[in-house]
Amino acid sequence: MFAAEGGGGVKFPGIKEMVEWPAFLFKDNELLAFNKVALISFIAMAIPVVWFLVAGSKAKKSLVPAGPQNLAETSIEFIEKQVIGQAIGPDGMRYLPLLLSMFLFILFGNLFGIIPTSHFGANARMANPVVLALLTWLVFIGVGVKHNGPRYFKDALFPPGVPKALYLLVTPIEFISTFLVRPFSLSVRLFANSLAGHILLITFSVLSATLFAKSLLVAVMPFSFFMLVAFTGFELLVAFLQAYIFSLLTAVYIGGALHPAH
Amino acid sequence: MLAVLSTIAAEGGAHAEEVINPVIPENPEMIWGGIAFFLLLILMNWVLLPPIKQAMRKRSEQIRGDEEAAERALVDSEQVRRDYDATLAEARAEASRIVDEARQSAEAQRAEIVRAAEDEVATLRQAALAELDAERSAALGSLRTDVAAIAVAAASKVVQQPLDVSANQAVVDQFVSSADSKA
Repeated sequence: MFAAEGGGGVKFPGIKEMVEWPAFLFKDNELLAFNKVALISFIAMAIPVVWFLVAGSKAKKSLVPAGPQNLAETSIEFIEKQVIGQAIGPDGMRYLPLLLSMFLFILFGNLFGIIPTSHFGANARMANPVVLALLTWLVFIGVGVKHNGPRYFKDALFPPGVPKALYLLVTPIEFISTFLVRPFSLSVRLFANSLAGHILLITFSVLSATLFAKSLLVAVMPFSFFMLVAFTGFELLVAFLQAYIFSLLTAVYIGGALHPAH
Repeated sequence: MLAVLSTIAAEGGAHAEEVINPVIPENPEMIWGGIAFFLLLILMNWVLLPPIKQAMRKRSEQIRGDEEAAERALVDSEQVRRDYDATLAEARAEASRIVDEARQSAEAQRAEIVRAAEDEVATLRQAALAELDAERSAALGSLRTDVAAIAVAAASKVVQQPLDVSANQAVVDQFVSSADSKA
């Protein structure tokens, strides 16, 4: 639909067309305008809810996992072993609900980027990554203060074992990297990867459609279509990987806040 | 990257007037996204995770209990096997002892039977020998009488006159006795 009309060559959609979605509920409300991104966010929330409800009801009846229960337990164990176990340790099991929710919310939000008829991931907009990154920022600072008191800031900004003269250099770096850059890098990483994947898929979709319309260039179209299919598979991997990276970095930050001197 | 550049280039042309900054988050999307995530977080913490975690804990405990029971059963079966081996060894020793005793008893019985048979054979042999001697003595007596009668009859023929058998019996007996002693 974005392909060129007539003989004008390939015309790619503008960034506004690619990422901005009009509201279809509360259109006139500046704070509650409900658009496609908000709908995808709610579906990305609803899928794990329904899935875990079914799994939980099965778990009450049988200790032998099967179907959704098996998948739910696999995802739980994945977060426990590959995220919490790697980044925090046994102390971090209390953060399982947070990290599992983050992982599933980001994963399903990303997967909508390759689901036909949707073809837009919730995290290809900056809103969700910012919310999650700010939450991470608040959580790891809160965990640090809760477990270490004011000493958390002292240990984080003035790492023990560093010569005092170096604090002039180290402390500003630690302050910027720990308290300013972390939420920004978390949100931008997730958003940029999702948006880049979205743009790539649009690019090869437009190319395929345009080349299919041009009789002389139709021979090139299979290459473009192959790239479209390949990048769709690649986006599946990226969807999982970004959810894993975001959850893992959140766990790393929480683990660092629990033991700031390390 | 090429795709992004081409998109931006295209945007720089025809759609320049529609440029937006995608890095700036939209407030409604943040609000709805935040509501969706916190709803998921709350449900996950208090509704969704507990039954599954409880089932996982129960299963772990059951597996641990089953493993311990299997370990105990293994130890018990090992003890039973040792007991069985010991009982089997005792039974084999007992069987061997019984077989030895039976063999000794049979050997003694065999020796007794052989001895009894030998005694019986000796008795029968002695009886047969005695009977044989008696028969021989009787035959010898009868032979002497007959020899005497024949000899006297022959002598009567030689002398051409009848001879008394009883009167010559002693001579015949003496002759037979001397023949016996020579034989």
